[in-house]
Amino acid sequence: MPDPLLDCAAAMRLLWDYLDGELTAEREAQVRDHLAVCARCYPHYEFEKLFLDALAETRSVAGVGAPAELRPKVLAALRSAGL
Amino acid sequence: MSFEQTALPWLDDVYRFARSLTMDDAEADDVVQETFLRAFRSWGTFVPGSDCRRWLFTICRNAFLRGRERERHHGREVALEDGDAEALAGVRLHAQMQRSGEDRLIARLDLAPALARALGELQEPFRSVVVLVDVEEQSYEAAAAILGVPVGTVRSRLFRGRRLLQERLLLYAYDAGLAPTPPVTTPVTTPGSAGPA
Repeated sequence: MPDPLLDCAAAMRLLWDYLDGELTAEREAQVRDHLAVCARCYPHYEFEKLFLDALAETRSVAGVGAPAELRPKVLAALRSAGL
Repeated sequence: MSFEQTALPWLDDVYRFARSLTMDDAEADDVVQETFLRAFRSWGTFVPGSDCRRWLFTICRNAFLRGRERERHHGREVALEDGDAEALAGVRLHAQMQRSGEDRLIARLDLAPALARALGELQEPFRSVVVLVDVEEQSYEAAAAILGVPVGTVRSRLFRGRRLLQERLLLYAYDAGLAPTPPVTTPVTTPGSAGPA
């Protein structure tokens, strides 16, 4: 039976996957349990979460949509193609 | 549902993705127009109820590649990209920043605008995968399908892209006078070539 407790190296190999929600439920629980008790690994988790949250925010920094003049151009092209 | 009801609502998202790939307004416009034309002509192949946004992103990526022959080379490279090694390299970078106090410098930056700038300077093949997963919230599997690479390649390029962004943030902190000495950064090597451990 596999050891349910992860060591630091194993937990940190999975940190990004954990933050991205890409782990199985079992693996996710193992990483979560490790972070709950490891004073060395938890700061890595905090820092990378801050980083990823800020990266997601760049969506609003870049602007949310296409330029106003692009939509009519796309529609005109589609209508020429038979839309 | 019709093409207009299903696909056209994603125009803003497709534009944002095209803009991140091209880094050029005019080229992004062209890519978006080509994307929707191709999508319209292929509408019969779209499976109703499936992820239209992901389908459009795939078409957009292919439209972009048609104009960038050299980028196809990145799409085919799969060997020697190790996601686990990149994950640990990211942790080592943060540990190094903790020892030097540089992690606190990054916290003093206005992060989202700094990251938007860094993302614009991030080279391919890392930029498109970071945009898909971290900005457009695609899963690893969806990003792999859009980019036409294995999930392992997505993982490796994503983790390295994130690390390159963090190193860029340190350079910005130095340029802003927040750090006393310039940080050491990872030489960027193309996937498949020998690089730092």
